[in-house]
Amino acid sequence: MRLSRRQFLKSSAVLGLGAAMAPTIFDGAATAVASEPGGAGLDRRTLILVQMAGGNDGLNTVVPYSDGRYYDLRPNVALSGSDVIPLDGHVAFHPSMGPFKELWDEGALAVVEGVGYANPPFSHFQAMDIWRTADPEGKGPYGWLGPYLDAARDDTQSPFLGLAVGRRLPLELMSPTVAVPVVESVSSYRVLTTRLAPEAAALRTHALASLYRQAPRTMPHTGLLDSTLAAARASSDDLREAEEAYTPAVEYPSSRLADGLKILAEAIDGGLGVRVGHVSLGGFDTHAGQQRAHERLLETLSQALRAFFLDLKAHGRDRDVLVMTWTEFGRRARANASGGTDHGSATPMFLLGTPVRGGLYGQRPSLSNLDDGNLRFTTDFRSVYTTVLEDWLGIPADAVFGRQRFERLPFLAAL
Amino acid sequence: MAGASALGLSAGAAAAFANPLAVSANAIARREPRLASRAAWPAGAHAATVSDDVPVPLHAFPDSATARISHLLRRAGFGETAAVRDRFARLGVEGAVDHLLDYERIDDSALDKRLASLAFDTAKPRDLMRWWLVRMVHTQRPFLEKIVLFWHGLLTSGFQKVGQGPQMFNQNELFRDHAVDRYGVLLKAVSRDPAMLSWLDSRSNRKSAPNENFARELMELFTMGPGNYTERDVRESARAFTGWGLREKSFFFRAGQHDYGVKQFLGRSGRFDGDGIIDIVLEQPAASWYIARRLFEFFAYDGPSDETIAPFATTLRESGFSIKATVRRILTSDEFFSGRAYRAKIKGPAELVAGAFRTLGLETDGRGLDGLIGAMGQTLFLPPDVAGWPGGSSWINSTTLLHRVNFAHHLSSAVRRQLQQQLPRARVEAYRADRQARIEGMIALLLDGELAPDQRRVLDEFIQQAEGGTKRHGVRQEADLLSNVDYLILASPDYQLA
Repeated sequence: MRLSRRQFLKSSAVLGLGAAMAPTIFDGAATAVASEPGGAGLDRRTLILVQMAGGNDGLNTVVPYSDGRYYDLRPNVALSGSDVIPLDGHVAFHPSMGPFKELWDEGALAVVEGVGYANPPFSHFQAMDIWRTADPEGKGPYGWLGPYLDAARDDTQSPFLGLAVGRRLPLELMSPTVAVPVVESVSSYRVLTTRLAPEAAALRTHALASLYRQAPRTMPHTGLLDSTLAAARASSDDLREAEEAYTPAVEYPSSRLADGLKILAEAIDGGLGVRVGHVSLGGFDTHAGQQRAHERLLETLSQALRAFFLDLKAHGRDRDVLVMTWTEFGRRARANASGGTDHGSATPMFLLGTPVRGGLYGQRPSLSNLDDGNLRFTTDFRSVYTTVLEDWLGIPADAVFGRQRFERLPFLAAL
Repeated sequence: MAGASALGLSAGAAAAFANPLAVSANAIARREPRLASRAAWPAGAHAATVSDDVPVPLHAFPDSATARISHLLRRAGFGETAAVRDRFARLGVEGAVDHLLDYERIDDSALDKRLASLAFDTAKPRDLMRWWLVRMVHTQRPFLEKIVLFWHGLLTSGFQKVGQGPQMFNQNELFRDHAVDRYGVLLKAVSRDPAMLSWLDSRSNRKSAPNENFARELMELFTMGPGNYTERDVRESARAFTGWGLREKSFFFRAGQHDYGVKQFLGRSGRFDGDGIIDIVLEQPAASWYIARRLFEFFAYDGPSDETIAPFATTLRESGFSIKATVRRILTSDEFFSGRAYRAKIKGPAELVAGAFRTLGLETDGRGLDGLIGAMGQTLFLPPDVAGWPGGSSWINSTTLLHRVNFAHHLSSAVRRQLQQQLPRARVEAYRADRQARIEGMIALLLDGELAPDQRRVLDEFIQQAEGGTKRHGVRQEADLLSNVDYLILASPDYQLA
């Protein structure tokens, strides 16, 4: 038996997570539930995760351009103070982030500085697993959004509770009960039956599904294969219909990230019930020759997200969508001799959309008080997750963190 | 886009499909279904389990010689036609393993001729992928291509950073040259390989500010795994590789950029260079365990216990990290032929596609196959990141599974036309008599004759309904029916498993 989200809200004890935190779960999340339908109804709310894979160089993204130590640490990689886009007298965006500056000016972009956690590993994979599971060990088979998807399953039979764009299912969307479709292109997303008469096609596809259902569960992977085929079949028709019905209101730039965001916009506009979407932009592992690569990446990111935001706005769905970026780590404060930067620690996160209260959050990491060459984090990433879970998705964070409690940040507008 | 050309099938190449195959009467192994115990998860989440990280109870390895030899040929290669499989079966497991591993003795000049006639431009990503896929399908040395696939995943590099040119081809040939060598020899060659030097930034590693990328991945991904060294070890060993670089696309040591100072590394102290670092790393017990585990998981099954790995780690150490000796021991072990291993791995896209062509005896010039495996999540020479392809359950999601199922549609459609030409005009009763033999042959060839009773019933019902659904049953209808059964076998969950 599963719990509805409301039961889930009321009774964290049932989840084996202890009742000690019960009072705290009602202060934010429960009021958000109670105040429906002010702002977006919970069941219309969508979280879009944008992964900046490889470890984004935060210092060259949100640039402490008035700090002389920045230029001392990275003579070959520092951005010129006259090129960057100032947000205030201390920090500035990378010169290629003009579209983010527009969002900033509209109050639709929040920057959380210095995000990280204690004792970070410097391996891409360990660090990614930690962000994806929200577990400091990076262990565990499910993602930090697993409990949310699991609870949301009660509200709807939609096969699109989660929707990942790309070729891989990201760990953060793995849950024990919700199969998340992974879509790379809508046109090829179907079971082909070309040449077959309709009745023959139906018969064959039915037999195929039965072969999957009847595969012996004594072998590993047969359960996964069965549920994945079922999810693919259930979602493919809906997705194509949504695509046919949808006309983008803006011209998306030409990039894979933009193509992916467009698929997410189609699904949101088509009312497919997407609660969590995921899309990824890779290439941030800039160990060498960073300048040009990083410039292109940040341009791709900010252009694509700006287009996505304007498209949602034109379709009247911008109030329902919160975008969150993440990356597995920032990069070393001091540049290396290859015109690049090695793996580091703390890094900024972006939250973007109409629900956001724009501005700077968290505390800027010091460039003089480094930890073995790395920035010391000032905001635990689980604080950001807690805010998103409780104030946006409306589930208590203890479903993910148990008794451990992380401070919420005020980056969401009063809803 | 269905059809022969989309799959790079040569004209008339699909004949193997149409020939009724000898029936092998393997009884389905009895598998006692038992309840799977699921990992702990907040209460009440068991309705429709989709996770895949949970141990399942053991099922037995099928009691059948066909299953044993097919399992070996699938894991140590890409599967074989029934005729070749029977020849291997006569050698016995030990003999078959020798034949696979001692591949230098096997003449592969026919493959070289075939590749020469196809005139690939291996400096280009698409051509290089096709070149390799043709090798996998048509080589007489399948184990060599299989273990090169292992190295391409472990010691990976990709065009996205290395750029077009001969480097990726050369790296693949380097893996072929040292495929079953001592691991240290391979690793030292790889540390000087131009593609790797670009991929992990060694080429711009200067003593004034060492680049840690290669040093870190050497320990994390290539030899020990995380937890067996400190950040200080990373920084110190990066110094040892300073000055290693490229000149005119070849390895070049820039003495002026090398840090000749003393390094403190894994408890040792000395003026180590890169080779010295590799020697020290391979002396660590963690290295033999790590490599043994990676090999075992590639060939046998995921998540083995330490106890299972121990003998193979010992073989590695005692043989001076001989890859051949270790793989031989894995492929002849009881664990390899255990229920834990049988159909316990998901075929990777290259394995699935090259394996289908090879097992069915189909010819290919590689065209179309590159796009297929890319859509299934494995664009060779373009790994997703420095850890290669994660494999296992990550091969399966709704998009990649649809592409796998649709691959079966393309293959069976391409073959259908041959069927229609070859089938005699006959009464439905005569078709029925031949039909069963052909289907049994396909199940023997593609599924080792192992299909659960409930799944057989699904096939039988499908055949009945399909036959009953048409007014008249002639050549066209029989060809449809047989190709749809081919489709169901190739698209089945069991065929996705290795």
